[in-house]
Amino acid sequence: MNFGPFLFGGPLALAALGLLPVIWFILRATPPAPQDVVLPSMRLLDDIEIRDETPARTPWWVVALRMAAAGLAVLGLAQPVFSPDEAGPEQDGSGPMLVVMDDGWSAAPRWNDLKTAARTSLEQLGPDDGVHLLLTAPRELGPNPADRLTRQEAERQIAALEPVAWPVDRQGAIARLNAAEITPGRIFYATSAVATINDRDAFDALADRAPLSIYPARQSPVTALTGLGSGVDGVSVILRRTGASGTEPVFVSALSLDGTPLATAEASFTNGEREARATFTLPPAALARVSRFAVAGGQSAGLVWLWDTADRTRRVGLVSSGGSSQPLLSDMHYVRKAIEPFSTLIEGDLGRVLAADPDAIVITDMGTILPTDADALTAWMEAGGALIRFAGPRLAAQGDTLVPVPLRSASRAFGGALAWEDPQPIAAFPATSPFAELVPPPDARVRQQVLAQPAADLQTKTWARLDDGSPLVTADRRGAGAIILFHITAGPDWSDLPYSGVFADMLRRAIAAGRGETQTQGEGAYVPDVVLDGFGRLEQPSSVAAPLMGEAFAETLPSETSPPGLYRGPACTRALNAAAGLRPTQITAWPANAAVVQRENASTLPLAGPLLAVAAGLLLIDLLVALGLSGRLPQMRRAAASLVVAGLLAPALPVLVPDTAAHAQGARDKALAAATEMRFGFVESGDAALDDRTRAGLRGLSRILYLRTSVEPAEPHGLDPATDALDLYPLIYFSVPETAAPLSEAAIANLNAYIGRGGALIIDTRQGATVGSDTDVGVLTSVLAGLDVPNLAPVPNDHVLTRSFYLIEGFPGRYDKRRLWIEQVGGEGRVLGDGVSRLFIGDADWAGAWAVDERARPLYAVDGGESQREMARRFGINLVMYILTGNYKADQVHIPALLERLGNEDAIEGVGDNIDLDRVPSRILDGGPQP
Amino acid sequence: MTDLATLRAEAEELALALADVSLKAQASEAPHIGSAGRRRAGTGEHFWQYRRYAHEDSADRIDWRRSARGSDLYVRETELETARTVLCWCDPHPGFEWSSDTLKLKTKANEARMLMLAISTLLSRDGERIGALGSGRSPSFGASAVDRLAEDLTTDQPTTMPMPPSGSAMVVIASDFYDPIDVWLARLSPVASKCKEGVILAVHDPVEANFPFEGRVKLSRPGVDGRKLLGRAESVRAAYLQKFGAQRQALRDLTARFGWRMVEHQTGTLPLKAATDLKQALESYTLATTSF
Repeated sequence: MNFGPFLFGGPLALAALGLLPVIWFILRATPPAPQDVVLPSMRLLDDIEIRDETPARTPWWVVALRMAAAGLAVLGLAQPVFSPDEAGPEQDGSGPMLVVMDDGWSAAPRWNDLKTAARTSLEQLGPDDGVHLLLTAPRELGPNPADRLTRQEAERQIAALEPVAWPVDRQGAIARLNAAEITPGRIFYATSAVATINDRDAFDALADRAPLSIYPARQSPVTALTGLGSGVDGVSVILRRTGASGTEPVFVSALSLDGTPLATAEASFTNGEREARATFTLPPAALARVSRFAVAGGQSAGLVWLWDTADRTRRVGLVSSGGSSQPLLSDMHYVRKAIEPFSTLIEGDLGRVLAADPDAIVITDMGTILPTDADALTAWMEAGGALIRFAGPRLAAQGDTLVPVPLRSASRAFGGALAWEDPQPIAAFPATSPFAELVPPPDARVRQQVLAQPAADLQTKTWARLDDGSPLVTADRRGAGAIILFHITAGPDWSDLPYSGVFADMLRRAIAAGRGETQTQGEGAYVPDVVLDGFGRLEQPSSVAAPLMGEAFAETLPSETSPPGLYRGPACTRALNAAAGLRPTQITAWPANAAVVQRENASTLPLAGPLLAVAAGLLLIDLLVALGLSGRLPQMRRAAASLVVAGLLAPALPVLVPDTAAHAQGARDKALAAATEMRFGFVESGDAALDDRTRAGLRGLSRILYLRTSVEPAEPHGLDPATDALDLYPLIYFSVPETAAPLSEAAIANLNAYIGRGGALIIDTRQGATVGSDTDVGVLTSVLAGLDVPNLAPVPNDHVLTRSFYLIEGFPGRYDKRRLWIEQVGGEGRVLGDGVSRLFIGDADWAGAWAVDERARPLYAVDGGESQREMARRFGINLVMYILTGNYKADQVHIPALLERLGNEDAIEGVGDNIDLDRVPSRILDGGPQP
Repeated sequence: MTDLATLRAEAEELALALADVSLKAQASEAPHIGSAGRRRAGTGEHFWQYRRYAHEDSADRIDWRRSARGSDLYVRETELETARTVLCWCDPHPGFEWSSDTLKLKTKANEARMLMLAISTLLSRDGERIGALGSGRSPSFGASAVDRLAEDLTTDQPTTMPMPPSGSAMVVIASDFYDPIDVWLARLSPVASKCKEGVILAVHDPVEANFPFEGRVKLSRPGVDGRKLLGRAESVRAAYLQKFGAQRQALRDLTARFGWRMVEHQTGTLPLKAATDLKQALESYTLATTSF
């Protein structure tokens, strides 16, 4: 049902709008009847003025708020959709609606758009109108167009549709439609707009049948990977697109079988071109692992090119001239190493290699090939094989006819004792040679070769020659194949060439000189191994997929029975690609009487979600208002009021959402502040006054440290040990409140971890006012139950704490002559961090003595007056120094001994013997003032 | 209202339990049943003091045995022993005859009656004379006196404060004392001026002490017209509780001013506690009050 540009998915819900006056009446009504209570002591209330009677009527703006929320909720439940152009003229058709969808691979990149368009078209339907669904890609178990579906069923079916990996057949779809014998009232066609054969007829047939609306999908930058060019040092993938404008770059990835990207190449269409190439330059070993190419981000079977082994690797037969006693020095070893990375090797005698029908056969120095073998080889070459021969002593001694050029029956040696010539370098390769791109290795020298007899065509048959012009590699065509002769040995006996990387490249090109692919006809059945789905993902083949005969690959078009994918055959795998050789074009001419739904217009805006969200937001505000009005938010009243104001002024959700995020942000900022600047922390006790006191104490200590030492702490942080990152604080102070609840388990665990990692925890029970009593840790046992407390001992007199900065006698806080308990040195069961205590427990209320206000005036009185406060500050400095520097000062204990040793050495050397050992002070005075 | 028999039975039960509560050893050392040493010379059996013979004394009062030891004449005096009279009064206001939960709680008046009857039972067994204030019947002791007191307390209560008793007596005044304290001062002053020994028994209902109301509440008071509508009762609670406490404090001050004792009791709580308090308050007079 539609009202102007608004469509309603659940128009019946709008009836609830009629209830709004009722809601209004209820909201406006007086509050519920009061509870009747008899109370004799009511007499006591006689002179109490009842201040806040509930107003007889709810404030108008609360009513308005609630009415708005209710109205929006009703509208939201009616599932409105804003689609400005849906109220088109083609609404007049009556009868069932036919929805046609292109579901071939070409539709896959815009599949969601197409589905949305199809579903949106259903929204124009009345609840009783039937829907027929027709898919243009032929499939066995697709929806039958003859089935009349309700709107809900149709929506469900469309939502569950997936594109297939084979192309659409629009004519075939029309035929199926005719067979279904339905008469649709109107037709909606969501099409990929990629042309196939006889599209125009199909569209015309549809337009003749009923009023036709067409939604053509937007074209993606690249439509298909349509081919693969296999070069000598890499591969290039051919990309085609339907449009010819734009220069968008496209990235193509080469993937291994398990989907690991091996390389990515960029292809960019030039403006006006429909074809581009992505060229991969890969080492042969990596190339061997590539199993498919895919357009990055592409979601279509057409955007994937499967690369089969038949395409990829050449099968090369190696025929050796008998076994060798030293395999690693043999000629064949060099050949094998050179071609192994990019070839499948077949080794054995000539008969066996020929039986395997390789692409190329390499024969190293072999004197005479038997005539029967020669016939077989010739026949094989005529069919496209490339025969590569290497010269050698045997070939030089007794040649045969299976060579590209006639040879002289002797070899030529350079640089020998009896030769005039020096070993020759290799000349630049002739431009006509397949080696033309290669650069000959400058340091390679040829010491010996077989020589060709001069002939008129020797020039054209030469692929490489030496500096002096004598041929190094000669070749000749034999039918579809070729015969190539290297006039040197494959090993380093006659030349340095096999040492060079160019040798491998030359061999590759020589191998490629044949027809390349020699998959012979009638090779047997290929069974689908993995197939592509419409989105270009690999999946197991369905039961419908049938095996293909080897010879059928060339002319088979992908279909349901032969889906695009890899087919495994007897010797190799072969690929059937979705868009092989395709030249996709875009359909631009539509039937004249068809209405083309432009993509902008087809986009609709479902409003149900936003409306319900706003309604929920209003109700939330109403909740706060109600709580605020009833006075249940006394402490939040101001915040709630401001929130209400903000909520009324701005849309509700944006106001509320950042509020929740602010907390996490705050915690992160806190941790960041603690990490960037050194500062002290204290455990927040939950008692605000105590926390202020501790904070003031640490602030005072920080200030004194700032003034007197190079420790410059920033403002202390209050910490919740359960949640905050404690490790960022070198010192954590814990003022234990008198009535303290035990810390949570998480807090204790965190504190344990903090202490365990070397943090310093100072616990102050502040109970030191009772003179003469020992430290009362009773409260600690309950508050810090579970804290991993090591063995404790009172601070010894000569402890580092007494001289880490100042020389001090005691550790006074607000109370003097109190004990300070620290970790027992050498305590058992713990690996002590450098012997530094990590736990300090006392009751002298140090924070109270350190505490200062904003203007640095002391806040609390100290037992012993200002002198004791000063001593408390010195203790604080010593404590921080101890915590920060560890036992650094303790090492000074050894200075007398060091000086003594030094003095002895000096005495031996007779230099500074003026150190009087008796006058070396037992304590080295440090920079601080003396007490 | 609970009927008389039930009331009696409950009071007996309470008195039975109460008899086991030994409060002060001295208090039970009364010379004989129905008598208590007044710590003054007077009619009694126990020796109190010898004093010099005065001319107005008759000659047969001279204790010759004592006088024979010296040259002076001595008169032997015994300690004055009188039976006490305890008069009870229970507030007849309809508000006192009220309970917030008629199923679970007794009315405040019933609770007060039960306490007074229980203590009177004990007292009458000890020979004290008991009665209802303003009933017109003379106080007496024995089981019949308790019956009469029960009758008087449950029926025929004067609606206003009765006239003070003619003789000296202890009074037990039970009410909820919600009227303004000035009203109570005016009511009790005549009694207090006559009776130096008195106990205020203030009984309240748990609801009255807690004010557990919320939301819109219309309050009414038994026996009185006029209602009070509270928009949000919970907002009044603090003021009410403060008022309740202040009223009790004023009552305490009033009691102290009279030289009386005060016992508070909440219905629904264990009556034994209030009964022992009441007993203790009454017995305290035998020790503390000395008048020469």
